[in-house]
Amino acid sequence: MFLDLDKKKADKLAVVDNAGHRITYGELADLSIEIGKKAESGSLVFCLCKNEAGSLAGYIGFIENEVVPLTLSSKIDSEILEDLSLTYMPQYYWVHEESVSLVSGEIIFSALGYVLLKTDNKRYPLNDRLQLLMTTSGSTGSPKLVRYKKGNLEANAKNVAIAFGWTEEERAICDLGMQYTMGLNVINTHLYVGATVLLTTYNLMSSDFWDYIKKERGTNFTGVPFSYDIFARLRFERMDLPDLYTLAEGGGKLTDKRYMELSEYARKNGKRFIPTFGTTETSARLSMLPAELSSQKIGSIGRAIPEGELFLIDDEGNIIDEMAAEGEMCYRGPNVTMGYAVCREDLLKGDEWNGEFHTGDLARRDEDGCYYITGRKSRFLKLLSYRVGLDQSERLISERFNIECACTGTDQRMDIYITEETLKDEVLLYISEKTGLFKNLFKVFVVEKIPRNDSGKISYKELGKMIR
Amino acid sequence: MNIEKYDKCFKEIFGDNAELNENFKFGAAPGWDSMAHMELIALLEDTFHIMLEADDILHYGSYENGKLIMKKYGVEM
Repeated sequence: MFLDLDKKKADKLAVVDNAGHRITYGELADLSIEIGKKAESGSLVFCLCKNEAGSLAGYIGFIENEVVPLTLSSKIDSEILEDLSLTYMPQYYWVHEESVSLVSGEIIFSALGYVLLKTDNKRYPLNDRLQLLMTTSGSTGSPKLVRYKKGNLEANAKNVAIAFGWTEEERAICDLGMQYTMGLNVINTHLYVGATVLLTTYNLMSSDFWDYIKKERGTNFTGVPFSYDIFARLRFERMDLPDLYTLAEGGGKLTDKRYMELSEYARKNGKRFIPTFGTTETSARLSMLPAELSSQKIGSIGRAIPEGELFLIDDEGNIIDEMAAEGEMCYRGPNVTMGYAVCREDLLKGDEWNGEFHTGDLARRDEDGCYYITGRKSRFLKLLSYRVGLDQSERLISERFNIECACTGTDQRMDIYITEETLKDEVLLYISEKTGLFKNLFKVFVVEKIPRNDSGKISYKELGKMIR
Repeated sequence: MNIEKYDKCFKEIFGDNAELNENFKFGAAPGWDSMAHMELIALLEDTFHIMLEADDILHYGSYENGKLIMKKYGVEM
């Protein structure tokens, strides 16, 4: 069975959530198989995920019965969901009972607060090796998906669990959404070793969250940089969290200051701070820095996980042999997915990457072989660790307001350039609403015209100069 | 006046049209997510020269309840 769930201790607690579910491995295996069988093998199901047992059991059951899930957030914007539905025509939806109104179809089954709906969409051919689909830029509604092949998730679960040294004693706190590659990875790695996953939908900024992790005795937490900004604001180093032993980080670059604070906190309190790096295209984590190095290698994402290999290439695409060097970071390993999909027909495609992925991130490698992310080649930002496509944002704004628009910026803020003074506030509210991200993460600039080069492409260099 | 300064902090984070009343609650009011909450707390701390305890940040709750919390730090409305 997927992740060998049926071979774990049947009476061991597998999943706890804050809706009140407490599910053992035996129950999880039985229930997920039951759910999965309600859908026809070879079909496509949209899972509107929420960090609850029902959402998780559905995902496992579908994979087990070879039904391909596309994991989306249960808080997805309804227009974006409609676009994706029109593009990929799913035969089923697996949604929380409170979100049933978001989708249409006939209810055929329900379990743990989740409902399976069957649509009128006909089945169409999917590639035999296709196991799961995830969005690359969920918040801007790009229809671009990552195609996972069979074996990706289990290989990554195994190798990340080895890298972290997880055992069945762990009680992993998972507040990152399971539709998000790193959230799913936290779940898979812990189920793989027979540990307990503490799913939560509580906000880190609420006392519910802290009460929950204390009560359930969470032993490890995985956060994005913003999670640790909240930790710092709450001066969590003064909190009494005796069970919490490992703090893992991923999903974006911590500031050096925060990195040092965390490593210092861990050292002083006999805990572990473990920075990692991952991408959706590599089924989440591809590297980690051993805890004992985190005080020496400030800002590093460490080395490749077991069975994986990291390397750098130069501008011409040649592998750089020198140890201390800088270039585009590339990865080879069993967790590399098959490629992208932008339309239904793409779901029939086979493996286009053959185990090798070029991340688009620029990195430096030190003499000990540890990697440091230094920049990015491609056009997206990570706002609060959510990948937000700049081209998609431009398209969204241009189409909505019928204006010219250019988006650029840093992981701290997206800069949006328009030519219509009167639309300044509306554009800001619109993009904030569409991405579901706080408006101060965006800034709108009004310029006389959007500069373009001879071939009509936006000249982002010129744009930066115009407001200075 | 403290109440004006208090309201100004909220308007700066949630916009001039935010309806500041007993229904304006964390997690429910439009835009009041954890990011906005962090910004709001930082702004309140700067404005009133105070430093909130973790428990008060976590239990801030709402526009109205926040007034009671501010009172603990000597900010009378």
